This record gives sequence, C-alpha cells and structure tokens, in this order.
Amino acid sequence: MLQQLKMEEKPCSAALSVQPSRGLVDEKFVVLVQNTVPSCPLTIHASHQCEDGHSWHAFAHYTSDASGVVNVSEDCSVGGTYSGVEAMGLLWSLKPVPGSKPGLRMRKKNVQAPMVITISVYKGHLTEGFGDQVPLAGTEVERWYMAPGVRRIAVTEDGLTATLFLPSGPGPFPGLLDLWGGGGQLVEYRAALLASHGIAAMALDYLTCKYTMETGKMVEQDYFEAAYTFLQKHPKVLSSRIAMLGFSLGTSVTLKTAVYSEVMKLRCALCISGSHVQPLDGFLKETLGYFNENSGKTCFTEDNEAIWRNLLLPIPTDLSLKVDMKEMMERAGNSHLLTLLSYPNAGHLIEPPYTPHARSSLFRDVKSRQMLMALWGGQTLEHSRAQEDAWRKLLVFLRKNLYGGVKSTSPLSNL
Amino acid sequence: MVTDALSNISLFDLFPLLFAERATDAVMFRAHASVKAMGQLTDMKIKPGCSVYRKLAGLQRLTGKVPWISSTRPAPLLTAAPVRALVDEQISIRGRFLPPRCPVTVWARMHSDEGDLWESFAHYNSNESGAFSLTGDPSVGGSYLGCEPMGLFWSMQPAPGGREGLRLRKKNVETPYLVHISLLGGHVSPSGGQISELAAVTAERWYMAPGVKRIAIHQNGIVGTMFVPPGPGPFPAMLDLWGMGGGLQEYRSSLLASKGYVSLSLAYFGHKDLPGPPDRINVGDLYFKAAFRLLQDHPQVVSDRIGIIGLSFGCYLTLRIATRTGVKPSCLVCINGPMGSTVPLTDSDGRTDQFDSFQQYWTFDDEGRVIFKDVSLPANLPPDSFVKLEKLDCPLMYIVGEDDLSASSTENADLIEENLRTAGKSHLFTRLSYPGAGHLIEPPYSPNARSSMWSVKPKKLITMWGGHPAPHAAAQEDAWKKILDYLEKHLRS
Repeated sequence: MLQQLKMEEKPCSAALSVQPSRGLVDEKFVVLVQNTVPSCPLTIHASHQCEDGHSWHAFAHYTSDASGVVNVSEDCSVGGTYSGVEAMGLLWSLKPVPGSKPGLRMRKKNVQAPMVITISVYKGHLTEGFGDQVPLAGTEVERWYMAPGVRRIAVTEDGLTATLFLPSGPGPFPGLLDLWGGGGQLVEYRAALLASHGIAAMALDYLTCKYTMETGKMVEQDYFEAAYTFLQKHPKVLSSRIAMLGFSLGTSVTLKTAVYSEVMKLRCALCISGSHVQPLDGFLKETLGYFNENSGKTCFTEDNEAIWRNLLLPIPTDLSLKVDMKEMMERAGNSHLLTLLSYPNAGHLIEPPYTPHARSSLFRDVKSRQMLMALWGGQTLEHSRAQEDAWRKLLVFLRKNLYGGVKSTSPLSNL
Repeated sequence: MVTDALSNISLFDLFPLLFAERATDAVMFRAHASVKAMGQLTDMKIKPGCSVYRKLAGLQRLTGKVPWISSTRPAPLLTAAPVRALVDEQISIRGRFLPPRCPVTVWARMHSDEGDLWESFAHYNSNESGAFSLTGDPSVGGSYLGCEPMGLFWSMQPAPGGREGLRLRKKNVETPYLVHISLLGGHVSPSGGQISELAAVTAERWYMAPGVKRIAIHQNGIVGTMFVPPGPGPFPAMLDLWGMGGGLQEYRSSLLASKGYVSLSLAYFGHKDLPGPPDRINVGDLYFKAAFRLLQDHPQVVSDRIGIIGLSFGCYLTLRIATRTGVKPSCLVCINGPMGSTVPLTDSDGRTDQFDSFQQYWTFDDEGRVIFKDVSLPANLPPDSFVKLEKLDCPLMYIVGEDDLSASSTENADLIEENLRTAGKSHLFTRLSYPGAGHLIEPPYSPNARSSMWSVKPKKLITMWGGHPAPHAAAQEDAWKKILDYLEKHLRS
C-alpha cells in the first residue's frame, strides 16, 4: 500500500497529546498538537458523553505555527466555544450539542469512574459537522473526582444519608461537612475532590434523605449535629478541625450552625452563593417556609425561566435595619474573620473548576416536586474564571484553617 | 510528672493546642512513657528548631507514637502530582505541614503482577516552613542519595523475605502499578523495627494511555500483541523485539503506542503458540518479514514509516531483518546486543540450534551466577550469522550500557561502527554509551535488575545483567528521551 505524498501534507497524521492524560478534575492539562502543516487553520474539538447519555462538545479555532505546532496553553483561540489563551477552555466551555434537550446540567454521579473526554484536531475552522469529518488526530483524556487511595464510605448510621470520603493514610484528617442546595439529593463529587486534597469530607443529603422521604418531614438541627458528631468521633478525623461548606440553601444551614450551634464547633465555614437572611427561630423547615412566603418575588423571563435572586430582597434602606453581612461584622468587630470573594458576571452555580457552566437548567423543587427551568446566571467565561479562582482560594483557606495555625477563632469565607 | 517537666521548659509556647485543648494527652504521656524517657525529657534543653522534635522522636520509638503529632493537630500532608501517570512521566512528590527542619522518611511500596512486594525509601529534612519536595530537595539517606525526583521508583528493591532473583516486569499493561507512598517520622529504615506512618498517598503508574487499543495477534502464524494509539491515524509504527528471555513482553510496545506509534511486540520463541520445541528458535526470516508486513498493511499505519527496536538478541534480529528480509524499515534502535547470533544457526533462514548446548563461553562469578557477556564477543559468534551491515540503508541508533555483563555491547558497537565506516555508511550510525548502566536498558524510572533468576531447571541459575542503580536509572531516562526524539525525527517528519 503506497501512500501518495502530497507536497502540502505529511505522511503521518498530526500528533495530539494531552498531559496528564489522567488528571483530577481540578488539575490543569497541556493540549499539544504537533506535526501539522505550518500556518494551518485547525479546530481542536472536545466531546464527552455524560452519564445520562447526553452529548457535550467544545471546540476552538487555532492556526499552527511555523513548526506545525499548536499549544493550547500558550496559543490564542480565534473562535469557537471559547477564545483567547485558555488552557482549560476545552473543558469549561463544554456545551450540550445542538439539538439537545434544553436545561441540561452536567453533574457526575459515579465518582469512582472518570469522565472520559475525546479530544480531536480537525483541519480548518469548523463550527459544525464534526461527526462527518475524519479528524487529523484524536486522543482520550480521563478526568477524575477521586484520587487513588481515597476511600468512599456510605454512611447510614444515626439516621444519616451521607457519603464519607477519606484520604489515604493514617490521618487524623481535618473533617468537612459538605452541603449542597435546594435541589437535594446526595451529591458526592465535591466531597470526593476535597478528600483527594487531604480532607475527610462528608457529603450530606439533608433534603431528600431517608428520614424526610419516609416521614415527609424536614430534618431538624439534630440531624446536622448527628453528622458533625459522626465526623468528630471517627477515628481518622481530627475532632477539633471540622469545617462546614454550604452551597446556596446550604449557606443558610452553615451560617446558622457557625453562629448559634452549641454542639457544632466549626473550625471554619465556607459559604457559596447563599444568604444569611433567614428566620432566627427554627431551622430548615422555617427557612424553607420563609423562602416560600417570598416566592411571589420570583420573576420569569420570556422563556419561562425562573429567577429567584429577589426572594430575599430588598435590603432595607434604613441603615439601622441594614443586614449587609460585611457591615454587620464590621460593626460587631469580628470582620477580621470574614473573607469575601465576589465575582462579577459569575452565576449561582460556582462549582469545582474546569467543569461546564450551566446558565440555566431544569430544577425540581423538593417540596412541590414541580419541574421548572431555573435561570442561575453567569457569563461562561467570567463564570469559569470565577470557578477556578474560587476553588484555588477555597483550598488555600481550608489548608490554612484546617492544617496550619493555632488560632481558636472561627474564620468565615463567604463566596 | 511529665507535664510538669514539659511546662518547666516552656514547650507550652510551641504546642499551645497540645496542652490547652487536650489535657488527656499528658495523661497518656505519663502512662506510656518509660522512666528512662522521662529522664531524657527533664534533662533536655530547648534549642531552636528541630532538636526538640528529634528528642521527642526518640521518645516516640519508646512510646510508639510521634509526640508532635497529637490528636489536636492534623497529620502532615503528603501529595503526588499527577497522581495517575504514565511510567515515563515525572511525578512531583511533596510533604507539607510538618514542623520545621524535621527529619522524615518517604517509603514507597508496590506489588508486582506476580504479587511480590517491592519497596524503596529515602530520608529528607523539612525546611523552615515545614515542607519538602522530591523535585527540589536532596535525599540524605536510604535507597538513593541526592536530588532525585523519581528516585523512589527506580531505586525499588524486592522487600526482605521475598523470592530471590526477581526482576520487575509488568505483565498486564491494562492495569496500573499502585504505589503506596508513606511519610514516616524520623530517619528510619522501614523494614527494621517500629515505624510511625504520618501520611500517605497512592500513585498509579500506567504503561498504557487512555484510548490505546490492545490487540492480540494470532494470524499467518505470527504471534504477538499490537497496540494502536487512539485517533484515526495514520501512524508511524514500530516492531518491538526482546531478547533470549522468550515469551511476549508488552510493556515497551504499549508505551510506544501511548506516544503515537502503532507497535507490535513480537514473540519468536518460548511461546506456547509458536511451533517447535521451546528451547530454540523455530521461525526464520519469513516470520519476521511477515510481522513487518503485518504492520505495513495495517490500514492505520504509514507503510514507509516503520522502525524496529531490539534489545539483546533482539538487536541481532533487528539488524538481520533490515539487511536480509527485503523489508525497508525507516530506522533501527538496537540496545546492548550482538551483530550475529549467539546460538549457532541450523539453516539459512535463521533458525537456531538448542540454546543451552553451547555453554563454552559462559563464565561464573564467585557466587555461581552466570555471566553471558563473552557469548556475544564478536570472535565467539558463528561467522555465518554475522549481519551484512554494508547492506544497511537506514539510520541505526546503538545504545551501550558500559557495565553490561550479559552482552559484549561495546565490542559489538565498535564492530558495527567499523563495518559501516568501511561501507561508507558512517552517517547512518548514532551511538549512545552510558557508564555504569547494565544490559537491561528499559523505559525509565523502573528498577534495574543487576542480576535475576535465569532458569530453575535443571538447576537454579542466576544471571548477571550488570548496571548500578543511579547511573542505570540516569541512562534509562536519557536513552528513552533520545529514542523518542530519534523516532520522531525518522518516522514522523
């Protein structure tokens, strides 16, 4: 079989490499294309089929240099699902392929298997029809939420619906209670990733847990106390260094716990995309009730997407009533505990980095079981930058407060 | 009593949590410390930095726990990145949140596919910030010395009490090696006595990248395993030949495929699916030609971009294929092997006689280990088996381990170079020569076997391969890089 050698083409295909080819979700990689024709327009394409079978893709337009090389970490994308110099753009700009069901959001269920992404390079600047063309080269990349040696332990004692992720080694490890928001379910991936960084992290389902599903009642404070105590008593967890991380509705729980709990003494607290505005009396049921009372403030877009940002607004203009968190703490003299990270144009769903941004998605209300399209917000580029920056700072904050130092006060990080 | 002694010397300032939060720890100290240890504590003076910790570490050996690691402080952190890597990729191992200027031991263990335990360890000291890294700091003792980022991997030895004569070779390339790396307190020898694990990390080391396909080959009489990179291709290809160990070794081919080469690891003797008795080579030139053609005809292979790599006897086969069978490889890589057959031929197609009936050039060291080196001295090779190098038409890289005890690599390299010069083909020849490296120059960061079990029947025989750990490791790392660059140059551009 003789290969015809054309002047403008090389006999061997272009070489595409991604290093590391097996990485943790928050690890950066280098995508390198070599041995292409110099100064050639190319499209680098990423495709992924998520666990529920939906197809996602991302792509970017490059021009190879004089040596026939494209380095995604150094070169500029001039078009596609991202532009500019974006080492990880092929991951964070992943979108459902055209024709997909609307309102999709990518969330890993099985954290013990990797996300597999196919990365290919095509000739020319393509925006569609990737399936019809033979790429110049292709490779596979694995992205893991769990490092080898991390142990996943289902926790059902004391009435809990939770999963504990233990780092490898003898410990003791600082502990962390990981709370998600109003969508409920037992969401494990962030806790798995935190365990891969040396923290015994426990993902806790507190809305759709066994107790609630069986009795129809919301859990009370003692449910969280049981989770805290479980961690405290665990032989591999350092009882004096337990943090709580709450996202969205989880923030409400975290702040109430940090300020008022007699039982739960948090070493530090992290709040993402949430609010401190909640009824002082009562707990989860009352907080959800409060949100419900204000549900009339929900706005809807032309496409019938729900916007919930106004539920807890307006902030009173009367300064004596003003409930701004930073101001409250400055007046009280404990604002040194507060680290505030604020990201313009980032949306509600600030998640671990290099994962796709969902500006809106289908959301099932836990109480009413009603499905609607929620508008979370955020512009993909700024949102992805925010995720990367926030995660890095979150890890530094956790390391500083859980690993280093001998401070006895509880610092707060509010994203 | 112990607590009083400790507060007198103001350890309180160093360990506020130790004493303020968990008074029960002091009770445990009292309960477990021996009289001698308490005496040591009351006698000690406080010096800045680590001496306190060293003395307490001494106490640890008596009490069985490391005192500065209490249940009020988290364990230090040991990390490896990337935590899943190909075997030829560097892993960055770091320790953090240790006390400053503290002696620690990093201890790595893994099981081979056969279940044998291999291990290595190294001694480090944390810096002022209580951190250390294998990429920046030197080992001051253990299985290797100096700044060696991958030292833990290439310095591994079989654990004491294991089987003798072991050599580490991955049989199943579809699974990784799981390396358990521990951080221990103090400068200790892990196999000897009490150790205290402070932290741990598990790293996976892979011989195969995601997306590489493994295909067992049993066609046209050819026995081997082919590895195909992900993607449409077409790819350059490599024919991969090992030496007189026989059987089928896949790990170099799977790695080459992970670098973008379709790679065929070829069995040529000592395999159940090959014809004839297992103690001789029963396949001839046509067999190797067919294997080469198999690569050429593969729809994803660029038929005029195929190279051959051979180690030991595989060198001779590589040169023979390139000069006798009519195929046209684009480049050759020969490692530590002869330019003629080390076993007499029985026909003009290259089939050989029985291996072990020709032992006159075997030598033995004081411990009865066999040294094959002289077998491949050019003067001892059957003259009719010498490859006609004047017929060589493609570039040849020859790699020499200067401490090779299994083959006369330097002598063969010299003769090959001379023959090519005579034929006016010096421009085809590249030599790499590594002092202190042995016969088994393999993909990097894997341990060298200076000797290993050669045969168990009719009697147990251990053979010497040569090579000393550090220079051999350096040779493997450098040679692999140069091989890959060489293949890029000749097979891709």
